[in-house]
Amino acid sequence: MARLLANRFAKRQKCEVSVIQDQIREVLAAHGRMTVDPREVDDQADLYELGLTSHASVDVMLALEDEFDIEFPEEVLKKSTFASIHNIGQVVESLVKSLA
Amino acid sequence: MITLPGEVYGYRVRVGCDVVAIEDVQDSLAAFGDRYLRKVFTASEINDCQGRNRVQRLAARFAAKEAVIKAFAEPDMPFPLREIEVTRDGPLPRLRLSGALAERAQHQGWLSSSLSLSHADCHAMAVVLVVCGGNAGAGAR
Repeated sequence: MARLLANRFAKRQKCEVSVIQDQIREVLAAHGRMTVDPREVDDQADLYELGLTSHASVDVMLALEDEFDIEFPEEVLKKSTFASIHNIGQVVESLVKSLA
Repeated sequence: MITLPGEVYGYRVRVGCDVVAIEDVQDSLAAFGDRYLRKVFTASEINDCQGRNRVQRLAARFAAKEAVIKAFAEPDMPFPLREIEVTRDGPLPRLRLSGALAERAQHQGWLSSSLSLSHADCHAMAVVLVVCGGNAGAGAR
């Protein structure tokens, strides 16, 4: 029973992460000015290698704040935060959870 | 063949540079307006960038902030953009750091900096040169 519940919880979490990543991909497509379509990029791919600039990452951050109704605190304003969809997702997820 | 030393007479020099498309700044202003300005620039910088060539000046200041970040050479360190401020000393742009970045610069032994800004119709750029005391604390060399 415990294992079943744990599996369900893990599946639900995976689903939530996937939804967040989909929203992040849409924001990247609108504001990232990347050389490829971010909707088709692996979540671990290096976004800077794919054309994301430091300036575009500011736009992405502002658009994510609008999308998720969050605010990026100064301590997460580092290059690595925007280096991959996975990394952005982790930060967004933690900020969303901190509001819940 | 020689490998040039990273420091001379106990002092190290660091350089950072960056280039920003004017159109990108224009688009950010159109999309996010004041939120973009307040997130990136100090009130003094916004005030210095009034009038003609406003967008070019803002772009040059953004490039300066990125150039400074590169000069720190610590990519995993948080960089609140408003802690890096471009001020004016007559015709010359100057660099002012505050908060955690000022402390970090002190830790890295930053002693002096020189900043140069430029722009054309399409792009703005900045170069920053920093002289560091050789015996100061950590940070990439």
